Amino acid sequence: MIKQDLSTLEEKSIYIIREAKLKFKNIAALWSMGKDSTTMLALTRKAFMGKIPFPVIHIDNGIDFPETYEFRESLAKKWNFKVIVGHSEIKPDLVGSACCGKNKPETLKKIMAEYGFDALIVSIRRDEHGIRAKERYMSPRDEKFRWNYKDQPAELWDDYTSKLDTKGHIRVHPLLDWNEIDIWNYIKREKVPINPLYFSRNGFRYRSLGCTHCTVAVKSNAKNVDDIIKELETTKIEERSGRSMDKENEYVMQRLRQFGYM
Amino acid sequence: MQVKSVTLLGHKDHGKSTLIGSLLMQTGAATKVRIKEAEEYSKRLGKTFEPAFILDSFAEERTGEMTIDTTRAEIKYKDLAFALIDVPGHEELIKNMISGASYGEVALLLVSAKRDEGIKDQTKRHLFLSRMFGIEDLVVAVNKMDTRDFDEDAFLAVKKELSGFIERIGFDQKRVSFVPISAYSGENLVKKSSKMKWYNGEPLIDAIYESAKKEKRQRHGALRLIVQGMIDADEGIIGGKIVNGDMKIGERIAILPQDQHATVKDIVVKGNKVKIATTGENVAIRLDKKVDFEVRGSVISNAEEKPRLTDKLKAKIFIVSKPGKTLRIKFNGIDLECGGMKILNSINTVNGKKGPAKMEVLNAVEAEIQLDKKLPVEEFETTKELGRFVLYSGKEFMGIGTIIS
Repeated sequence: MIKQDLSTLEEKSIYIIREAKLKFKNIAALWSMGKDSTTMLALTRKAFMGKIPFPVIHIDNGIDFPETYEFRESLAKKWNFKVIVGHSEIKPDLVGSACCGKNKPETLKKIMAEYGFDALIVSIRRDEHGIRAKERYMSPRDEKFRWNYKDQPAELWDDYTSKLDTKGHIRVHPLLDWNEIDIWNYIKREKVPINPLYFSRNGFRYRSLGCTHCTVAVKSNAKNVDDIIKELETTKIEERSGRSMDKENEYVMQRLRQFGYM
Repeated sequence: MQVKSVTLLGHKDHGKSTLIGSLLMQTGAATKVRIKEAEEYSKRLGKTFEPAFILDSFAEERTGEMTIDTTRAEIKYKDLAFALIDVPGHEELIKNMISGASYGEVALLLVSAKRDEGIKDQTKRHLFLSRMFGIEDLVVAVNKMDTRDFDEDAFLAVKKELSGFIERIGFDQKRVSFVPISAYSGENLVKKSSKMKWYNGEPLIDAIYESAKKEKRQRHGALRLIVQGMIDADEGIIGGKIVNGDMKIGERIAILPQDQHATVKDIVVKGNKVKIATTGENVAIRLDKKVDFEVRGSVISNAEEKPRLTDKLKAKIFIVSKPGKTLRIKFNGIDLECGGMKILNSINTVNGKKGPAKMEVLNAVEAEIQLDKKLPVEEFETTKELGRFVLYSGKEFMGIGTIIS
């Protein structure tokens, strides 16, 4: 796993986050309380003189881990930002990608419409998945959240797409260039508060966080940020190995994203 | 670790994705899971192992054996990391190619030495575009040497045919290297190939490394800050990125196109107050007085060395699609109507020669553009950030331009 220069990554992300806020009228960010979207919030504070000048959305299906809820409350208070919680309902007959692909985007659609957001910051990274690597820094979604991956807008130099249609919204991806290990090195350097589920308990830890139904812990003795960095420097296992839905079929991520998954 | 962007260029099917796949495997950057995945898909599609599948992730890319959109993969070598930017080679996907290529620092061109493949129009067009984007360093990988029994003459033929064009479009021959390889069988990529003893140069990865290490052309030192907007309107805090030079507290600055003058009072970089900020940094600044100006796309320079204000540009424009009735120019966050465009002459992107004034898709023109208002601009060669723009006609991406004067 390649360790990149943190300051270079940081500058680029700050530029993109500022661009999103200053170019669009009404933006929000998705926050799962995971390491990536929490890092995005830390970067936002750097971009805006210690403030987070837009609301963050948590799509809550009611079955996140208790630690995740606690972390949400404590950080929102510490950094003083507004959290919009969208409640999605878990249907017992839907599992894996069918569940993630339907419940969360449907709830998000309602929130986007209710608040009239025209852009949404999502903290995906290229190294997570081959399909995510195909994304632009700013990418339009139509009113049904569909991603027209066969005809993405041109994106060159510092010129990102403008919102030309009245319907739909722009997805903003400020962390696209970051690798998993860069996130952890940044968390270490900046002392970013982090969800305790990432640290090992009884020989297991979570490397990528979803809900309690579809995320499994991986074997690990990494008890703190330094241990995690050491672990990542030698591991050959993929980050999303604990996320069951990725494995159902080789193109599941493509279909999920095409239909609005984050 | 410092990451250098390397853009892969070349005609479709000349092996760009295959090369990246092979490099990822040979440098140990591809995880076992990805390699296994690629093996399984190759098998399912009834093929021998295809390294390109490590990279091409869309269903259509694997079954259709083509790259649809740009992507990026990283490899480590010595003290550098390379971000290899894969771009589609198909003509109709030029918009996606441009999106990937604009981020490159080094260009890596693939040309197939296979009989009946060789140098194609798209090979030259990609070179033309990379030069237009300001790329100075080029590595030409002559690929598929396995199909020519690793014969030196096949390599020399490609080298000879391409050298003239490379020079004509403005590359310095001292910053261009040619390497014979086979991306598919992995010859001469990371280790010197025993099958091409006649080749005295370095394997491909060392050629890329040398190119990435070359000193870039020195730039001038004048301050150029592009304003993104107000970080805090009530407090009068302006946000923007320094694209050239330094900014110091107490410095007299000019804001353009408004042409107002002020003194820098505070500079904040990533939340910390600093006395001086430099190229590449995103800053938040406060001036000694409230300046009333339309902020987005304004340029802040030092008071003595201002960029030129003009409503008329002479530019080189690569045409992606024919313009309709309206023309918009996007320039550093400013999006405005063009009053008109007068074509001066065409440039054939396949032979590099100038021709009569006409506009053709996938070729370039030199033209004069009339803007609706005055903007601060510079020649692309002087300050690339103030010398490049994107053209739209309605919603259609029409082309990209670099300012000549």
